[in-house]
Amino acid sequence: MTKRIAIVEDEAAIRDNYAAAFRREGYVVDAYEARAPALNAFESRLPDLVVIDINLKDDVEGGFELCRELRARAAELPIIFLTARDSEFDAVSGLRLGADDYLTKDISLPHLMARIAALFRRLDALQKPQAAESRITRGDLVIDTERMTIHWQEQPVGLTLTEFWLVHALARYPGHVKNRQQLMDAAQAVLDDNTITSHVKRIRRKFLGIDPSFDAIETVYGMGYRWLSD
Amino acid sequence: MNLKRQLLLVSLLTLMLPWAGCEFIRETESALRRGQEQMLEATAGALANTMAQYDEEFPRQDDAFRVSDQLYLHELAGRPEVDGYFDDWSLGTGSLRSLRGTDGPIRFAVGLFDQTIYLYVRVIDHDVVYSNSQALVLDDGSRHTDRISLVSSNPPYRYETIAFAAEAPGKILSYRQSANGIASEPTITAHWQDTPGGYQLEARLPAAILGTHLGLVIHNTDDTANPGTRSSSFSGRTPGPSVRLSSYLNAVADRLVKAPLRLIVTDADGWRIAAAGALSARSPAGGRLGVARRVYGLLVEPGENAASAEPDPSGREQQTYVSSALQGNATPDWFRSDESGRAIVAVAAPITANGKTLGSVVLQQGTDAILSLTNEGLARLINVTLIATLLVAGTLLGYATWLSRRIRQLSVAAEAALDNESLQSALPSALAGDEVGDLSRSFSSVLKQLGDYNEYLRSLASKLSHELRTPLAIVTSSLENLEHEPLNDASVGYTTRAREGADRLRRILSAMSEASRVEELMADFEPEPFDLRAVLESTLNAYRDVYKHRSFSFDCDLGEAKMSGSPELLIQLLDKLVENAVDFSGEGDTIAIGLAASDSGLEMSVTNPGPPLPERMRSQLFDSMVSVRAGKDSRHLGLGLYVARLIAAGHGGRLDADNVEGGVVFRVSLPRS
Repeated sequence: MTKRIAIVEDEAAIRDNYAAAFRREGYVVDAYEARAPALNAFESRLPDLVVIDINLKDDVEGGFELCRELRARAAELPIIFLTARDSEFDAVSGLRLGADDYLTKDISLPHLMARIAALFRRLDALQKPQAAESRITRGDLVIDTERMTIHWQEQPVGLTLTEFWLVHALARYPGHVKNRQQLMDAAQAVLDDNTITSHVKRIRRKFLGIDPSFDAIETVYGMGYRWLSD
Repeated sequence: MNLKRQLLLVSLLTLMLPWAGCEFIRETESALRRGQEQMLEATAGALANTMAQYDEEFPRQDDAFRVSDQLYLHELAGRPEVDGYFDDWSLGTGSLRSLRGTDGPIRFAVGLFDQTIYLYVRVIDHDVVYSNSQALVLDDGSRHTDRISLVSSNPPYRYETIAFAAEAPGKILSYRQSANGIASEPTITAHWQDTPGGYQLEARLPAAILGTHLGLVIHNTDDTANPGTRSSSFSGRTPGPSVRLSSYLNAVADRLVKAPLRLIVTDADGWRIAAAGALSARSPAGGRLGVARRVYGLLVEPGENAASAEPDPSGREQQTYVSSALQGNATPDWFRSDESGRAIVAVAAPITANGKTLGSVVLQQGTDAILSLTNEGLARLINVTLIATLLVAGTLLGYATWLSRRIRQLSVAAEAALDNESLQSALPSALAGDEVGDLSRSFSSVLKQLGDYNEYLRSLASKLSHELRTPLAIVTSSLENLEHEPLNDASVGYTTRAREGADRLRRILSAMSEASRVEELMADFEPEPFDLRAVLESTLNAYRDVYKHRSFSFDCDLGEAKMSGSPELLIQLLDKLVENAVDFSGEGDTIAIGLAASDSGLEMSVTNPGPPLPERMRSQLFDSMVSVRAGKDSRHLGLGLYVARLIAAGHGGRLDADNVEGGVVFRVSLPRS
């Protein structure tokens, strides 16, 4: 079944470019330039994935509003923020509203496609029974590469796609230092040092929320990070 | 010169006050004195008229004699002992008249007390020749001795000489030589006294035996055979008329004038023939005002010496104003005492009768009233001035201190605001309505504008990168779409180049927004304790991998350097400094990284060989969008050091740059945990 992607973006050129790229990948694309027409259309039919810009013309926070309403309506619907706003605050706000990923417009189309594909793959995997071979276990850590979920001490850790890929890259070969470039490649993104630092910090915080004694991610100053297994 | 000194100098202007006061006092004193002069002049005129009625009491002028031919008979206050000494005379030595003698000046005085005439003569004589009993006291005798003769005449009838010659010092006999011959005169008492270098004689004679004209002749010889030389008080053959106080005029004067006025009546030659009254001797001011007295003496017009106002001890008034009166003009004059400061106003008026000047009236009065008046004024003036000057100086000093403190506070606050980048903070005196307030407000507005501008610069990079991100996304997404279209070889080349350009643009934009991301990180950064030395060593290894064409040295005396902060951010700071150091140094150069303990905590330094920092832009080195680099790399936006400073400041430290021998050092001071 062909997946349907809705893109809500006020900038016509970008909207058309993304739409063209999605269509080329075989998706059905509905493009909207503002919140109201998008919501109207979603009344009758929900897409399989939504790409939202935060700033929608005069509706400065329109993307956030839209995300909130969509999430209220469909808990499982993958939502991706694709925006020019690169501030930490916006990213945190977006993710807190339940978005599956927060991407800046720096991202290249292939990276974007990889993420969308990954999200669809996870959606599919959730409907299938859990497959043992897709599980990686590292001590207290359990990674389900199909569903893209991570459990620590048997509790689910709510990670975004980027965070998942980072943890996955680190935990796959415990003890190996992964430098920033390797982490970027793994996360299918072009990130600068500060963004990686923030991501790692956020990942640590999420693990610490479950286990206050968590210290499996070690910073190797000047080099990168590595996963410590017991 | 600072404001305080300037105002203190201005306060000296209050010294004009005493100056003006002194001018006023001086003017007042002069005016009062002139008034007194006028009053005295009028009185003197009236007195002169009164005196003119007693014209027969005035000595007749005799043109045959000169003034120097006359002797003045001083009125004595008491009866002197005839013992050859002058000290019991009630006269000062100033009353002694001088004659030229062979061996030295001869001094003598003639006094009058109770119808008795007293004579005192002191002669310098190196060789006193005494007489003997047989020797006659004669001018033409065969034997000559030293002797003193009193010549008395009553022209045209009598001419007598009373001679004093000693056989030995002590009481001597005197001889009277008249037309009738020589006889000893028992009514005369005389005492001859030898002195070192001469002798002195004191004699008492009844006035009755003497004529109206008196003269003194001293014979000095060295040898009994030699007549010797003759010194005489008169120049002609006979002496001039002697002058004495007129008891009648004195009585009249006594009736007319009382203290504190003093009246002196002179004859036509200036000889004093009557005197009455006295100047007040009372000191007008007590010792308490001694200082005021001295100041006063300096202030007022100096006059002639007060001693000149006293009756002339010689008996003849010779002051100019008296002489002038004797020429027929009433003349005022005034004197000032140095010690007491008081002035004496004197007026001389001619006494004329039948067109002839008989003499003069000299009227004198002290200015005690003026003195006490002006003195009081002066004392008050000095006090008021002193208080006023102190008050003004104190006020101005306080004011200057206050003013300069405000200005200093303002300048310190402005500098502090500039240094700390807290450009919006309120400056002192901002609410004041005066010029300092204006200055403060102008400063504030300048600082605010500067702050706005800095803020604009600071946000410019991130705003710009934000604004450029959407068009860049259009470009890159279009290019990525284009790559999926069928393209010929040439088009592929162009797209690739366009992709590369867009990529470069993206990196620049991400560098531009780095500062704002660091600021964000700093906002919610949780300090963690860590060992800076370990972090630096680990990082240094990474640099050695990345920058293969530079060597890195690490210099650290500390075993470990515990601090609290964000190691990631500090590494980012070091990244910036090292990037900077690499850019400015050449291939193969050694970049020295150091870590040492400092007063405030830790000091991390990065030293690189290379061109020195230009002085001109030193202060702006760490500002946003400022690059001091000279064209080596046009992609440098001047954000690296700004980010480095943000991180240092976020850790409570500071970043400094300095030129060192052959290179540049950047120092990061960090507080220890």
